[in-house]
Amino acid sequence: MLVEIIQGSEGGGLVVIKDSAECDGRSLLKGFIKAAVLRNEPVHVLGFEVSEDELCTGLDSGPASRLVFHDGYSDPLQWLGQGKLSVQDYSAQNMRNRISQSDDPKVVTLVIDSLSWLLLHTPPTAVCQSLQELSRGGLKVKRVVALLHSDLHEQGVVGSVCHMATAVVTVTPVSGSVSAEAEPNGIVRTLLRRKTGRVSREEECYSVREDFSVQILRDLSTRKQPAPDSRGETKQDDPAANLTFNLRLSEDERRARENLSLPFTFSEEKKSSLLQPRSGGGRILYEPDASDDFDQEDPDDDLDI
Amino acid sequence: MFPELNNILNTSPDKFEQGQFILVSDSKTDGTFLIHHFISFYLKAGCRVCVLGLVQSFSHYSAVGQRLGVSLPQAREKGQLVFLEGLRGSLDVLLQDGPIPDTAQPLGFLRSPVPELRGLFEFVQSSLSSTEEEVAAWGPPVLIVDDLSVLLSLGVSPGAVLDFMHYCRVAVCSRMQGNMVTLVHNEEEELGDEDSELLLRSLTHQSSLTLQVQGLATGYCRDIHGQMELRWRGGSQGRPGRDQVKLFQYKVQDKGVSFFARGTSSAVL
Repeated sequence: MLVEIIQGSEGGGLVVIKDSAECDGRSLLKGFIKAAVLRNEPVHVLGFEVSEDELCTGLDSGPASRLVFHDGYSDPLQWLGQGKLSVQDYSAQNMRNRISQSDDPKVVTLVIDSLSWLLLHTPPTAVCQSLQELSRGGLKVKRVVALLHSDLHEQGVVGSVCHMATAVVTVTPVSGSVSAEAEPNGIVRTLLRRKTGRVSREEECYSVREDFSVQILRDLSTRKQPAPDSRGETKQDDPAANLTFNLRLSEDERRARENLSLPFTFSEEKKSSLLQPRSGGGRILYEPDASDDFDQEDPDDDLDI
Repeated sequence: MFPELNNILNTSPDKFEQGQFILVSDSKTDGTFLIHHFISFYLKAGCRVCVLGLVQSFSHYSAVGQRLGVSLPQAREKGQLVFLEGLRGSLDVLLQDGPIPDTAQPLGFLRSPVPELRGLFEFVQSSLSSTEEEVAAWGPPVLIVDDLSVLLSLGVSPGAVLDFMHYCRVAVCSRMQGNMVTLVHNEEEELGDEDSELLLRSLTHQSSLTLQVQGLATGYCRDIHGQMELRWRGGSQGRPGRDQVKLFQYKVQDKGVSFFARGTSSAVL
């Protein structure tokens, strides 16, 4: 799912990349930038935390030239009086004006590096409002991709910003090495809010190559049980095999068995003998065996046999 | 400078990376020995060094430097070293009889109603930016701050400290391609000092190399004074990659520090 979000087929609106001190998310952000530039989409970067040179390291000169960098890094508080982008200038309207100045007919992907810097200098409500206005789409801005350091703010602030996002990508470090072929950069948990209202979550192991293309190494989200080993189970085991005595039947024996009628089966003869009234009204024929006692003191002598 | 640490960091006074921001943090022990290492390292490398010594006097640093083989008074005289003595300077600012001084003074934030470190930054910028001849004479500039936590104690908000570090990084690392080393204390972990934690985490995000020094969890030991975790941040200098982490234990001796892998202290083996 991460690849679809990077390619832009999912997650329009606002994409938030959450990282922490243990695992850096800027390389993933550059993966987003690289993918957008390769699709010939104009990319505008509001850079506050790293310089333009550092951001463009690793991107070839062709893609790098299609990137418009609004420099909020050199003099954000106007201490040097250099007149570049300052933190007070930040508002949705000002950003739109800056983007419109570039005369690009296509809609723009806006990258914010980073939201944490803005949140430390402007109130969170103003940042959320501006993000909402920018990501609502329409004029000029197709989608907004922002980097947020989740461990620098209170949980409530992080939660509010992520609540507005269409897609939240959280990077966490991976302990040990999961696969031998390529060293993973980390584990990414993606949360995508689709237009239909359905929310999907996925967990993948990713790595960012030298040219900032993102590669998914392994999908960790669906923890399937391995399929049952079906090699030996389809054939029913024959219990009569491998015995020292014979449990099998020959043809004659099988036929004799089938012809045998069981003692309590209700056959035609028995039915007719019971249904037809017999003369004599049911006589009991008793023949005493040799071992039978004919005891005179038997209390049952009222039996008239 | 400590030769073993140079081997671990894979640097030497002749060959070191430029544009780096090195963060030293300590908890339950004192990590100042690393600051002394970096001061002597960069002086030996022939760089122009600006030290903001806010915690100790200049004579303390020069005494330690002498044991490590550099002479700080000589470097100051030559113009290689610029040293801001925080203790003496702050006393001058606080005991000044006249009107509240201009905040353009380096330590003017001590008396201003809104503590802003702009004056300190301008001092750093003026001392490290140099004319053409100086650039030819000395190597890239280096800023060493010892330490940032004392600024928090003096009433500066973490946001103002972070802004100061941001501007220093812009000037020293990006524009002049120099290096920056700073020390942050992380004392009260259990008490949760939020300002100090916010400062530490923000600087960790911005740094390219973090050296975290901790006392042993089991308590004081005569032969092992603590352990040090080195973390090279993936994603620093714009390149992708994972963080690389190495862990060592150390013992501080009279003229140096010895580093060894965990469990291989000479007292144990």
